[in-house]
Amino acid sequence: MNGSEERIDLEAPLSGDFQAVVRLIIGGIAERVDFAFEEIDDLQLAVERLLAEAGQVGTVHLTFEVGETGIRARVGPLSQRVVEDALQDGDVLPGRLTLRRILQTVVDSFGVEESADGRIVVRLEKLKGIA
Amino acid sequence: MSTAPRRSPAPERAREEDRELLRRYHRDGDTSAREELIQRHLPLVRSLARRYAGRGEALEDIEQVGAIGLIKAIDRFELERDVSLATYATPNVVGEIKRHFRDKGWAIRVPRALQELNASMSGAIERLTGKLGRSPSIAEIADELKTTPEEVIEAMEVGSAYSTVSLSTGPGGDEELDPLETIGDEDVEFERSEHRAALEPALDRLAPREREILRMRFEEGLPQTQIAHRIGLSQMHVSRLIRKSLGTMREELLRAPPGTSA
Repeated sequence: MNGSEERIDLEAPLSGDFQAVVRLIIGGIAERVDFAFEEIDDLQLAVERLLAEAGQVGTVHLTFEVGETGIRARVGPLSQRVVEDALQDGDVLPGRLTLRRILQTVVDSFGVEESADGRIVVRLEKLKGIA
Repeated sequence: MSTAPRRSPAPERAREEDRELLRRYHRDGDTSAREELIQRHLPLVRSLARRYAGRGEALEDIEQVGAIGLIKAIDRFELERDVSLATYATPNVVGEIKRHFRDKGWAIRVPRALQELNASMSGAIERLTGKLGRSPSIAEIADELKTTPEEVIEAMEVGSAYSTVSLSTGPGGDEELDPLETIGDEDVEFERSEHRAALEPALDRLAPREREILRMRFEEGLPQTQIAHRIGLSQMHVSRLIRKSLGTMREELLRAPPGTSA
């Protein structure tokens, strides 16, 4: 993503009750970048699938960097090893529906980063008008 | 030319065919028989769903919820029962639809204006997609519906809320624990979590249409607009089905005993 970016930080409970709130906020942020309906839906789905893997207890930190061309989101900590395994797979075989395949479909790029305390943060990037 | 009176489709024969399909599914594990049963009884679901139309929910969404009831009825049917599948499925379908409305609690929690905005968004998105040749932005949808972008975003969320129903409804009905509540200690949780990475064993639990939508989206990489066009649903409905299907599959994996596939 190029150009000046604005940043939004959000700490949300992992309880399912708050997933709708997170979706709402993503919708509001993406609307500011003039994302298409489908692009917003894609980003919401990506975050939602990551949150589903994060469990139901505690909180999750979400960061959104909003630029002229798109949004970069970071979601974490996602301490379950399955998330890392799923994202660091090799090639995805046809017919397998993994988290990796879902993210490959709905965002333009993604990756795993390590936070200062050694926990897993997943980075998602969704660009405007690409998919 | 025969002058014999026309007979309606032989109900006895249809019932026997159902029983044969149920035998193939329950005794032989023939999932194609299950799919055929679903297809054969979807008209029943549509008929029942129409009774609940006009309550602020798109008919196609009500049909979708009803189809979950049908699938549960097929899965729970006991061959020893001396009752037709249609008779057995009807209360299951109606129950699922009623539970959907009750759980969603629209009448209490969501203002009518927002319900109506949600119901009209599908059509607006279809019109704009056709006109613009791409998925419209929120501002464009708001302009089309003469409302604000904020209200459109709120209405989007209203429409997406119902996936929580299927996620929290176990096969035993209301009394059963939420699958998420059945997760045990951390070791068990971790063993289960290993299976979540590969969702595909749970694909069998989805109706054929949902499987096909997931295949088109995640294998062919088709955008929702194209999928919607191919299968004759609205883009919003395709979006909801994708989210709901992924949630259902994950629920199946959580429910499966550790070390097994769903």
